[in-house]
Amino acid sequence: MTFILESGYAFWNPLIWIIVFIVVMVVVYFFRRRGQKKYKKDTAQARIFLCGEEVPEAEQRHIRVGNIYWGFFETLKEYYNQVLRPHTGIINDYVLWFVAATAISAIVLLIAGL
Amino acid sequence: MEHIPLNFPFLAAALLVGVSFYIIIFKRNLIKLIMGIAMLASGVNLFLVALGYRAGGGAPIYTDAPEGPMVLPVPQALTLTSIVINVAVLALMLTMVIHIYRHTGSLDSEKSRKMKG
Amino acid sequence: MAALITHSSILIIAIPLVTAFLTPLIGMASKKARNALVIAILTFVAFLVFALARDISINGIHIYTLGATSPDLTIPTGFMVPVRIILEVDGMSILMGIIWSIVTLAAAIFSLSHIASETGQNRFYTLLLLMVAGGFGMMFTSDLFNLFVFLEIASISGAALIAFRTKFADTQEGGFKYIVVSAIASLMVLFAIGLLYAQYNLLNIGALAQVIQYTTPDKIALALLLIAFTMKAGMVPLHLWFPDAYSVAPASITGMLVITSHACMYAAFRVCFTLYGGMLDAPVVGWILIVFGLLSMFVGVTMAVFQKDVMRFMSYHAISQLGYMWVGVGVGLAVLGNPELVATYGRDAISGGVFHILNHAMYKPLLFFTGGALFHCTGTRDLTKMGGLAHKMKWTTILYIIGTLSISGIPPLNGFSSKILIYESVYQFHPILTITGIIVSILTLASFTKAFHSAFMGAELSEYKKVKEVPRSMIIAMVILAAGIVFITLFPSLIVNWTIHPAADALIDQSAYINAVTGAIP
Repeated sequence: MTFILESGYAFWNPLIWIIVFIVVMVVVYFFRRRGQKKYKKDTAQARIFLCGEEVPEAEQRHIRVGNIYWGFFETLKEYYNQVLRPHTGIINDYVLWFVAATAISAIVLLIAGL
Repeated sequence: MEHIPLNFPFLAAALLVGVSFYIIIFKRNLIKLIMGIAMLASGVNLFLVALGYRAGGGAPIYTDAPEGPMVLPVPQALTLTSIVINVAVLALMLTMVIHIYRHTGSLDSEKSRKMKG
Repeated sequence: MAALITHSSILIIAIPLVTAFLTPLIGMASKKARNALVIAILTFVAFLVFALARDISINGIHIYTLGATSPDLTIPTGFMVPVRIILEVDGMSILMGIIWSIVTLAAAIFSLSHIASETGQNRFYTLLLLMVAGGFGMMFTSDLFNLFVFLEIASISGAALIAFRTKFADTQEGGFKYIVVSAIASLMVLFAIGLLYAQYNLLNIGALAQVIQYTTPDKIALALLLIAFTMKAGMVPLHLWFPDAYSVAPASITGMLVITSHACMYAAFRVCFTLYGGMLDAPVVGWILIVFGLLSMFVGVTMAVFQKDVMRFMSYHAISQLGYMWVGVGVGLAVLGNPELVATYGRDAISGGVFHILNHAMYKPLLFFTGGALFHCTGTRDLTKMGGLAHKMKWTTILYIIGTLSISGIPPLNGFSSKILIYESVYQFHPILTITGIIVSILTLASFTKAFHSAFMGAELSEYKKVKEVPRSMIIAMVILAAGIVFITLFPSLIVNWTIHPAADALIDQSAYINAVTGAIP
């Protein structure tokens, strides 16, 4: 009983999850054992094929962080332009946001009580 | 003393707080920003001392106390603590501005920033 | 032992404070003795916190009056109201205390190697112990002005620690932004305390909660207190200083500063739930917290996907996870006036939010420590320069994976337990909150995978051929937090029954807090 966490609707039991995970991993291991055992490790069978192009060195193949998720950032470029505008880095703007937020919440609290 | 309305210290504190927020928000020089924070501290301390006043009250000391009401002593204790804390804060801020000036050569809050976004 | 428990709340605050001033003296004699002293004191304080937690679970709220002849004498003879400073530890406070004791111990162990090459280490450990004392004071006190004083102690020592490495320019800028924001927030908190004192002549939270009426100056004080504490806790749109300050600090200090943000969030909860209690306009304040919480979640994670500096990236994730807590507890606050809704999903929402505080405090410092390990080994925080570090830093990679799976809410780890509590209770309030939460989880996993690939995966780069695994004390610190994560993973219901439900009940029901202060007549 100590393993089950009750939330409002359902329950969560980490022990059952771990047992299912282990069972699935065992099944996967048995599938893998039935695979191809005869392949030659260091010959052309295991090398990267890039449609006949030159494959660069492993160091130069590493994708840097500025290029990952390029499609995501291209699509959301307008959103990012808008959300980067307040992030100026100037300390005066930080205090301006504080004063604006205090004023707005004070007005909201005063009006809500009427 | 009878001609000064009782609200006057509170108006002065509000004026100090307002002007200091104007300085903090609109002045780019870091030293002026620190002066603005010092003024904000003065405004809040004035507000604290002023709220303890009771009409016609004397100093809150029990030894050889004259007859009559006394002003509240607790806000005066709070103000002393706050003054000491603000001294430490201002000293720390000034030290950091010295280091910022040595590293970046500028005291402007826009030109001396290296981090944005 | 019983005397130790009675005086434990003041000892927990006083022992780090006194040791902070002993540290430079002992450090002048021997470095090893100073390091051993710091670790021993923090271990002893952690032991005291756990002993106090056990005592509270048996005996109820623990109260301690400073300066009285006996700790229970909250109201002196002949007086009608409490006038002394009272430390009051209930379920929510001791949960924050447990978190703080574990994280500061891990941070101190991490610092043993991380700042080993810096000068002025005596001052570092002094400031660290001062910050520990300030944090405990903020969590245990029941007096508003004492809260202000300890808030300032924690902020000043935190700012000095952020700007500790004076040879870099960005640390000074981050420290300056932190101290300016802290000074303005604290002065506004003092202004609000003045407003409350002017009306009721009381400074104690329990005594004020008994007599407060929701007049106009009270509403202004509530707005000031709420916005000041939420700015220190990193709520959007007041979060702009958060990444600047937390990305440049030494990694152990960033781990502790995140918990200081949690402590400011705890102070905001004290103000809303215990100080104002049933008198405030619960739906309005609840909706303010929910809307800002949604903004925090979403803006935090979308800005985080974008970052190239590893510590800045993790600070934005801290902002977004703090948004989950605001949404959970905000929903609980919004339905506070309605007892049947509280029983249906309000208590679960607050429990989810508070459980997320505990989980976040376990995995976020772990992730900051892995970022610090990357900085220690490669000398840079810039992800564009890193690659292929998993070959040499195996322990860091495994601990980073545990932290990533935890923060994204992947089962079976602890992030999933608290997120499922939040999702299922908040869904009944309004479905859009759960949908936003799930989208934010997906984006969190995406951004951590991106950072994992760029820093750890790939072939070994030639400039990092000489990189070795981080020193042993850093691994031990990270393993302490990972052990906490694994423990909460395996036994979520035990944690919830022992610590989270008492904390949620302490927030919902303010009468226990008030009775402990005003009912204890000598």
